[in-house]
Amino acid sequence: MALIQCTNLKKVYTVGGEEVRALDGVSLSVEAGDFIAICGPSGSGKSTLANVIGGLDQPDSGSVVVEGMDLAEAKDKQLSEYRNKHIGFVFQSFNLQAHESALENVISPLVLGGVGKKKERVEKGMAALARVGLTDRAKHKPTELSGGQRQRVAIARALVNEPSLIIADEPTGNLDSSRGADVMKELERLNDEGITLLVITHDPTVASRAKRVIEIKDGKITEKAGAR
Amino acid sequence: MKFKDQFRTGWRNLSRQKLRTTLTIFAIVIGAVSVTVMLSLVTSAKGFLMSSFEKTGEDRRVIVTPVTGLSYGDARWQTWSDGTGKKIDDAAITALAAVPGVTSVTPIVGAQYYDSARSATTEVSISNSFMLGYLANGSVMRDVTHGRALEASDDSGGVLVSRSIVENLGFKDNLEGAIGQKIRLKPRKDFSEMMKDVEVTIVGIMFADGDAIDMTLKFALDTSPVFERCDGGGPNTQPTCTKESDVLRNGYPAAYINIENKDNADVIVDEVKKLGYGGAAGQEEINSQSQAFTILGAVLGGIGGIALLVAAIGVINTMVMATLERTREIGIMRATGATKSTVRSLFTVEAGVLGFMGGLFGIVLSFGVAILLNGVLNQQLEDGGISERNIITIPPQISIIVILVTTLIGMVAGRLPARRAANLDPVEALRYE
Ligand SMILES: Nc1ncnc2c1ncn2[C@@H]1O[C@H](COP(=O)(O)OP(=O)(O)OP(=O)(O)O)[C@@H](O)[C@H]1O
Ligand SMILES: [Mg+2]
Repeated sequence: MALIQCTNLKKVYTVGGEEVRALDGVSLSVEAGDFIAICGPSGSGKSTLANVIGGLDQPDSGSVVVEGMDLAEAKDKQLSEYRNKHIGFVFQSFNLQAHESALENVISPLVLGGVGKKKERVEKGMAALARVGLTDRAKHKPTELSGGQRQRVAIARALVNEPSLIIADEPTGNLDSSRGADVMKELERLNDEGITLLVITHDPTVASRAKRVIEIKDGKITEKAGAR
Repeated sequence: MKFKDQFRTGWRNLSRQKLRTTLTIFAIVIGAVSVTVMLSLVTSAKGFLMSSFEKTGEDRRVIVTPVTGLSYGDARWQTWSDGTGKKIDDAAITALAAVPGVTSVTPIVGAQYYDSARSATTEVSISNSFMLGYLANGSVMRDVTHGRALEASDDSGGVLVSRSIVENLGFKDNLEGAIGQKIRLKPRKDFSEMMKDVEVTIVGIMFADGDAIDMTLKFALDTSPVFERCDGGGPNTQPTCTKESDVLRNGYPAAYINIENKDNADVIVDEVKKLGYGGAAGQEEINSQSQAFTILGAVLGGIGGIALLVAAIGVINTMVMATLERTREIGIMRATGATKSTVRSLFTVEAGVLGFMGGLFGIVLSFGVAILLNGVLNQQLEDGGISERNIITIPPQISIIVILVTTLIGMVAGRLPARRAANLDPVEALRYE
């Protein structure tokens, strides 16, 4: 059974009387352990699809079924818990809390989810930082870290709650090619450990490493088999 | 999200904007201090009023007058009778004493016939003094601070004198020394034909605030020579002196009743009225005065309330700014699992902390203000010969209520911005620059 089953997703924005079909009948099944790359031109609906799959946004119609729950119909509380427990987001612009240390950023999903006591949270947070090789930067603020390090902190935050799916929206977009390659290596390793991976990218070399490549254009899918 | 973590997060976010937070709290502090100090002033004034009525025994007093319909305040000034109304004679006193719940009764008579009092060293004018005679059974009046109350044995003319007169008579630094001293009272010119100088002995000193007038002398009505009127005096003959004839003709101007149970005053007043007299209870005066304080408290509290309202607007402003500044942070929190209600309560808690801190510092500052005010008042009380000190107190329940109210005001003021923050679209919030 698929981890996530999307069926006929539609999302339309109307701006100044013009309709923009961000999602125009997208159906997609994400299998557990998959590594999917979503490619496509700018404005084609990649982020919208990722946000809908991640429970950050809801479609106008269609369904996103995860473990028997349809995210399209879910209430805020269920969606939030889904994001907290099942999804790890990694963004192009890192989206770390600037006033918090790396460790505090990493454990924030645990705090929001009301998980454990301080000691347990710190242990989990340090373990997550260890997985991205940043234990020695735990006390650093994001401004005291390099771009690549920031994105690794974001990855640690994404995986601290042991999610089933990590959604990375252009994770290498703000990094030079070698830092970008490091970050992708990190994500691929997580995929090897069994975490399902959904990566939005413009970069053909990134896409070439995915098990599946999904091409989106004007809110519609044209799938290609991934080479690996 | 656990409350402890919400509180910690709120606290942390507030300390990120120290100046703005301090200013917002400061506004609440001003509101809290004005409410607290004003309410405390009023409750303290009420307490002071109550205790001074208790000291003089006026909390248990009913004044009986020949005419009906007088307030207690007016009844107090009934010190001579012109014969109108129902005559209060000795039989009436006996009847009043028989009313259940009455512990003692004394008729009173004013004695405004004297001009000056002279001690061994000094002569002072007493023409403006309030002079009152009553039966020396000692149970109706209780306002003596030095010496003792009048007794039936004071037939040589014992007198209670208010502190300010004693001081003027040359005993300023030695009040105790005035006890047992003889003073001579000289009649007013227009009475000199019929009254002679009398010599009386100071047996006690009354505190100054007793009868709302600080120049007071009190005599034993039944025994004091003060009330004797003399006729037939001439160059070679001693005058013959008798008891005050106005009293014999018109009855007493008033009688003071001491009641057993102060909550029973209404009943006693009704009984007095049944006997055909006017009756007014000290409780009535306490009530009307404390009602005046309550109104004053409401007005002053209202001013403080307006200050708090302005402070609440400050909280709204601060929190709106905070939600705008932190839009992206809110987006990040939403992406990592914060529910709408978590975001809402985070901001509500933050606003509540502002209110709480404002209330807390406000109370602390109010205690300081109370100490300062008491310092000023204590000096005045001492100068006025009043033994009480530190009359302004901040009741603990006011402290607690003020802190609770400011916290609540903060939370209510924070509600709107908090709702706005909670309803942000996570995707848009994440895109916010
Ligand atoms: N809030 C919105 N209001 C109006 N239109 C929107 C909104 N969000 C997205 N769109 C439109 O929907 C379309 C899809 O947007 P989306 O962000 O999914 O594109 P994308 O494929 O991620 O593009 P990029 O590669 O540039 O990130 C775009 O044309 C965009 O203009
Ligand atoms: Mg995008």
